[in-house]
Amino acid sequence: MFNRFLSLSLLLGLCAPLLRAEPLSPADLKTLLGRIREKRAAAPQVQADFQEEKNVKMLNKPIVSSGKIWFQSPNKFRREAKGNSPSITVSDGQQLWIYYPKFNSAEHYSLGKHSPLDPGISAITASLNLENVEATYHISATKEADGYQLQLLPRNPSLKRFLQTFTIRMNNELQVARTEMVQPNGDRIVTTYSNENRASIPASTFEFTPPAGTDVTTPLAK
Amino acid sequence: MAFHSTIAQLVTRRRGLVWAAVALLCALSTAVLVLRMKLDTEVLNLLPGGFESVEGLKIYNRDFVQVRDLTFALVCQPNDVDKLEEFAPQFAQRLREQSWCRRVLAGVPIETPEGVRDLQSIAAPLLLNLEPAAFAETLALLQPAKIKERLHRLHEEIEAGSPRPQIELGLDPLGVIAPALKPFAGNASIEEDQPLTSPDRTMRVFLTVTNQPGIGAFDCQKLMREVQAFQRTAHEGWDGGPLQILVTGRSAYVAEISLSMRHDIIITLLGSILLVSGVFYAGFRRWLPLLGMGISLLLCCLVALAAGLLIFGELNMVTVGFCAILIGLGVDFAILVFGRYQQARDDGEDHPAAVGESVKNLGQAIFFGALTTAVGFLALMLAGSRGFTQLGVLIALGIAFAGIFMMTVFFLFLPRRSPAPGHDWMFTLVKRYVRWAVLHPARVLWTSAPLLLLLTAVAFSPRPPIIFDVSTHSMEPKRSDAGYALKTIMEKMPTRWEPVIGMIKAENAQQLHDYWRKVEPRWAALQAAGKIKGFSTPAALALSPQRLETNRQKLHSVNFPAARDALQIALTNEGFSAETFESGFKLLDDLKAAADPATHLPDWRETLPQTSGWWFLIDRYFAHDPLLTTGFVTTNEAVATQEQKEMLHRDLPVAGVPLVLSGWSFTLTDLVPWSHRQLILISGLMALFDATLLALLYRDWRLWLIQVATLGLAVCAMIASMKLLQVPLNLLNVLAFRLVLAIGVDYGIYVLLVWQKARKLDHDVAGVVKPVILAGLTAICGFGSLGAANNPTLAGLGYACALGLFWSLAATIFFTLPAAAAAEPKSWREESLHPLVKEPENV
Repeated sequence: MFNRFLSLSLLLGLCAPLLRAEPLSPADLKTLLGRIREKRAAAPQVQADFQEEKNVKMLNKPIVSSGKIWFQSPNKFRREAKGNSPSITVSDGQQLWIYYPKFNSAEHYSLGKHSPLDPGISAITASLNLENVEATYHISATKEADGYQLQLLPRNPSLKRFLQTFTIRMNNELQVARTEMVQPNGDRIVTTYSNENRASIPASTFEFTPPAGTDVTTPLAK
Repeated sequence: MAFHSTIAQLVTRRRGLVWAAVALLCALSTAVLVLRMKLDTEVLNLLPGGFESVEGLKIYNRDFVQVRDLTFALVCQPNDVDKLEEFAPQFAQRLREQSWCRRVLAGVPIETPEGVRDLQSIAAPLLLNLEPAAFAETLALLQPAKIKERLHRLHEEIEAGSPRPQIELGLDPLGVIAPALKPFAGNASIEEDQPLTSPDRTMRVFLTVTNQPGIGAFDCQKLMREVQAFQRTAHEGWDGGPLQILVTGRSAYVAEISLSMRHDIIITLLGSILLVSGVFYAGFRRWLPLLGMGISLLLCCLVALAAGLLIFGELNMVTVGFCAILIGLGVDFAILVFGRYQQARDDGEDHPAAVGESVKNLGQAIFFGALTTAVGFLALMLAGSRGFTQLGVLIALGIAFAGIFMMTVFFLFLPRRSPAPGHDWMFTLVKRYVRWAVLHPARVLWTSAPLLLLLTAVAFSPRPPIIFDVSTHSMEPKRSDAGYALKTIMEKMPTRWEPVIGMIKAENAQQLHDYWRKVEPRWAALQAAGKIKGFSTPAALALSPQRLETNRQKLHSVNFPAARDALQIALTNEGFSAETFESGFKLLDDLKAAADPATHLPDWRETLPQTSGWWFLIDRYFAHDPLLTTGFVTTNEAVATQEQKEMLHRDLPVAGVPLVLSGWSFTLTDLVPWSHRQLILISGLMALFDATLLALLYRDWRLWLIQVATLGLAVCAMIASMKLLQVPLNLLNVLAFRLVLAIGVDYGIYVLLVWQKARKLDHDVAGVVKPVILAGLTAICGFGSLGAANNPTLAGLGYACALGLFWSLAATIFFTLPAAAAAEPKSWREESLHPLVKEPENV
């Protein structure tokens, strides 16, 4: 009995360094980002399933949703959420559509020009792309047992108004497993990804035309 | 006793009496200056009165809060834009901490939690001011079923991932604020084209309201000293490249202008004295007469200034240039008088006799010279501009005093013993020219006439064009930090020009509301038709007491307790946090209180916090008197043509609404016809006056024709020179033409009057031509010294007059004289030149 205990303790003691996250040095971080870019460059398109839990300050309970996401570097994406309140979100980098089949309505936003949506979009594309992310964020990384964790802090003051921190967890194959976005008002969005696939995606995936009879609004239009 | 003898007696035998009178005059004038000095730095007082647009601009500048606005701008290098964005909140906070700063706008209010909260605080009165149909529709949202349905829908939308409901609930939990603010948002649309950050992000603008006690020059100077101290330390915490901290606004301009007035007085006065003294000494090489002339002229300035202060109560920025002009003109009399005096002394006369001789010979000429000059300057009153009326009256007074003092006080400084006459090279030269011109007038005319005619052709030719500058820059000081700041802001921001303003003053709140309700649809129609680019009015904030009463009675139809309960239940069922809906509950309470007839209805002015950034928007529309309001119209292009102005005049007003249109560009364009009238009509009147006077003086049609032609050619040469040298005409220096006609005519008068009476032609005429040349040069110097003034109005007037007087002088010497000679038979000319007695070669 004592010998088993001793062996287990020894094993735990030897494994402790492996269990503890190690911060990456700037050189290692640069190497990591380089590896990520190489991988993305080789296969600029990605699709995956997601599960999302959104803790919004104005709601007492979190909002849980799931669905699928498609992404093409640098900033095109499509996100289809299932469940009680399904939605389809499509962006080509300049325009963003959010379609609500249940309400037969769609919202149309123009991106850039300091739109309030820019930080959210930036966070999504940052997690899926990481291209030139050092220009927009301060990055620090730690080596985990099963991969890496990157913490992104916005550089840009206008981005800081909408995004406090952004954390990305990757596995050893550099696939994004989990993201956590915290906003200054306390809202928190945690998204986990699975079944990542780098197969080619048709261009039409990132185009959207509202179905006939859809009530289209432009909430942030002047 | 003859008048000239009386004067001679007084200044030679009763010197003590004259000195005592001078001392008394000085003392009185100095006392007036010390006790009554008041500066008028209002640029608008240079513009003519009687124009609705000018009066409107004065009201806007005086009665609206924007007179205490200062605009700060931070300008960085392109690679520091992120640092600028980080630095901006620190800078804004430092601004707020300044003792002179009452309010700061550093960002769009709707984007800040405080701004949202402030907007919610004025929701109730704006809601009650809605049109009846819109109010009924909005009230319907407070039915319990609607509240529940709305919150359920919003919850589902949030779950679906829409960002809109969160934005909506943050501002408008109940859904009634948006309809209440819709008229407000529509009216404020003009603000969306005027951001606080430049498109390239290298500039951030901060609007501030100061708490300066008054808006006069000294208050503005005091404020700007404190602002400049702040500017010197405001860089702390900035770690990027070069950062410019600019400031502009009315107070900044007023401080600069008032300080530059001091500069302008000193520079123009010193410049004029130096140049004029130099010319006088070069001509006569005498110190004591120079001193006497200087003191006499300063006495003129002192007495005229004191008289002006007594008449007008204050002096404006153009009037301060009068000393330089007066010195340049007044010295003419001294030169003429001393020239004749010296000539008499050289002829063997003693001091009293020489004094009497010069007064007798030149009294008439000086009288008419002073008369034409005074009338010319008094004609500035016809401009209707307070500033130029002051200038005209002061100079007319000054010239009158100069005429009097040069024939009295000036002689006190002349020594009884005349020094031995030295060789007067200038007189010799002039005499030789006079002889040659009289003997061979055709040769001189063949040179001068074609040149003058060529310049006349250039004057009438469409090319090159004369530059007529009606922009606001033509009235800004030449070296102006505030002007540079404004120019930089205008360059970096999206295309924007200052709008046309439409002011309405009402008797009461209901009338104000009704007026704007009539104006809005008209302007909206113009916008839809593409005649204007946009507009904004205070219509949404001009509450209608009648509508407030009507709508508050309708509040009785709302079951507020049921609405409150429904809201509470919906929050619980949908899982919303109570904190998000605090403002919604408050609004329900406010509306319930408003339903009680005994409750005082909230005025948005009382409920909006004084520190709110929304006041920057609101203060644009309302004066200190809340019944005096203004709306803004952005035109498709900056207002610069008469057609645009006429269209606005025709289309913007509404029948039954007392709307006054104004704005800087609109006003300056409105004044262009006035300016043309000044140029053509008033100058024409001056020319007619001159022509009539000359006819009475000479009673000789040939001499009359010669001098009228001289004046015409001189003015044309002046216009040609301005075209070739690209000296622009502006709204105010068009007044120069009448001055040139008033002063330039004097040279011909002096020469031709002596020509008519001359016994020894070359001696007598040369004896007046030399002083005329000196007089002309001093006048040119006097006006030319105005070019050093910081005030472009003054400088422009100086350049135009200097050019005009140059050509008047040149035309008198090289055209009038030979033409007068050519009009006489050759035999007469030769006889007149034949010397009977050898004359001394000096004056």
